[in-house]
Amino acid sequence: MSEPLLTVEDQRTAFAAARGLVRAVDGVSFALPRGRTLGVVGESGSGKSVLSRSIMRLLPPNARASGAVRLGGRDLTTMSEKALRALRGPEISIVFQDPMTSLNPVMTIGAQIGEVLTHHMGMSRKAAKARAVELLASVGLPQPDVRVDQHPHQLSGGMRQRVAIAIAIACEPALLIADEPTTALDVTVQAEILDLLARQQAERNMAMILITHDMGVVAGRCDEVAVMYAGRIVEQAATADLFRDTRMPYTAALLASIPRLDDPPHRKLEAIAGRPPDLIHPPAGCAFSPRCRFANDLCRTQPPALEETGRGHRFACWRPMAMEAAE
Amino acid sequence: MADITPDRFSAAAPDANAEAVAAHKRRNRLGLGFWIPMTWLAVVVAAAVFADFLGLFPADEIDWMFINEGPNEAHLLGTDHLGRDMLSRIVYGARVSLTVGFAAPLIGVGLGLVLGILAGYYKGWVDEIVGIAIDTWLAIPGLVILLLFSVVFGGSLGMVCLSLGLLFIPTAARITRAATLNHSNREFVLAARAMGASDLRILAIEVFPNIIWPLIAFVLIDIPIAIVIEGALSFLGLSVKAPTPSWGGVIAEGREHLEGSPHISLIPTAVMFLTVLSFNLVGDAIRKRLADQRDGAI
Repeated sequence: MSEPLLTVEDQRTAFAAARGLVRAVDGVSFALPRGRTLGVVGESGSGKSVLSRSIMRLLPPNARASGAVRLGGRDLTTMSEKALRALRGPEISIVFQDPMTSLNPVMTIGAQIGEVLTHHMGMSRKAAKARAVELLASVGLPQPDVRVDQHPHQLSGGMRQRVAIAIAIACEPALLIADEPTTALDVTVQAEILDLLARQQAERNMAMILITHDMGVVAGRCDEVAVMYAGRIVEQAATADLFRDTRMPYTAALLASIPRLDDPPHRKLEAIAGRPPDLIHPPAGCAFSPRCRFANDLCRTQPPALEETGRGHRFACWRPMAMEAAE
Repeated sequence: MADITPDRFSAAAPDANAEAVAAHKRRNRLGLGFWIPMTWLAVVVAAAVFADFLGLFPADEIDWMFINEGPNEAHLLGTDHLGRDMLSRIVYGARVSLTVGFAAPLIGVGLGLVLGILAGYYKGWVDEIVGIAIDTWLAIPGLVILLLFSVVFGGSLGMVCLSLGLLFIPTAARITRAATLNHSNREFVLAARAMGASDLRILAIEVFPNIIWPLIAFVLIDIPIAIVIEGALSFLGLSVKAPTPSWGGVIAEGREHLEGSPHISLIPTAVMFLTVLSFNLVGDAIRKRLADQRDGAI
């Protein structure tokens, strides 16, 4: 396997807040080869979205970031803003969570797609519009030739997300970040959008980072899954391995909290006790230890390192689950 | 099923739809409250633009036969104390009033837009500096600024427009800043940046089209205000210099003859009143329309 498309090394992103530094991403490293999909799962406030913006270098001015993000051999962290702008769109792009707000309300769909095409690909307005219709057709928007002249408010949420995807893939990026792309959508539309993303990803051989809080979303669609907690990756493995051979109690708790169809009726929903940790004053040891059933004194005092076992399975835990069972 | 239980909704659906559409159109139609003032404005604007082709007396031609005369066959609106034709003085005066009425708000909004959009988008120290500049500007009485301009630059029409325009900057900047703050935090701006758009591009393509509507509404409100202020300035002799006629100036000239020939002051006053009222009515109708359209979009 050649060099991975994306390498993130020890990315740390913190925000200066009134109470202190909010360590939203606290030492994240991973690599993503071309054409592969990485699922990033975590609950609200685990740093998923900040990680995506750190990769894209789209951080607000009060953010303090360190670490290295290499895309195709170039380090984005040392790049000028101008060079980054040329990269965003043709090399790396993003689909946001809420298609109600991620489209400009006063521009037609066609103009919003065309804008990217004329800007990055040097297309004429006419060519850009024709291409916009093609793109809309390829993301499965019905009547693309009519829709292209409509405004976002004339489209449903699912349709808008298709438009947002069409914009994101317009310049054939090598890496697409989908930041909770289905969270704001109806359940029935979610599967369609996820299938669409998977199809586009396969057809265009894009690498994709699929960020979600829903284990069910990543299950069938990602080659690898990274679980984030308190700004760190706490477990990462090939999807099947992660589900079969869960090591980190937090991952296990996330999996257990998915309601199952074959559960008896009125079964109590498995919830994770406690609240997500304070990112300004995180717990001394493992960030999950206050909520972990298996935590001992070591867990509460020493943070565990993210260590790799066989087949690329990484996890950060002093008392990993399978080993518990083996003892 | 359908023939057993006649469903009044599905059976009557085409009619009901057509009726709803028609009702909606009726509700949204611009009524006489829009078209009458619009007609008046059209007449005033057309008269001002084509004044040279209307076969009027020259505005400063003195007719010794008619001094302080009321409306008559030769002079439809009468003459003033120097025997000048009132109609032609009002028509040529409209040029001054309308020029100032349109130019001053546009100058104010143009400059205010630049300041407000930069302050609202970049925030931080840019916002601070613009804020301080605006507060300072507001602390200087407007009349002093107008007087200063009049004294330093004399009463040229361009300077009157500019000095009045400067007075509109603070409000325009604040409106722009608020609207920009509101929109530059939206996700579509972040999305545009994620697609490689520069700041200038984001401001021009993403932010500007979203904030233009409150500014248009602001211009519509300011046009009649500017006309009234210009009238007051002319009245005080701080606007364009005599003998160039302007509405406020003509009103001022008639002041001393109010007892004998009230028409000299009253006719231009009435014209100004009707024009300002018309701008207000038309402006209200347009603003309501814009608001409805935007509500419909959400």
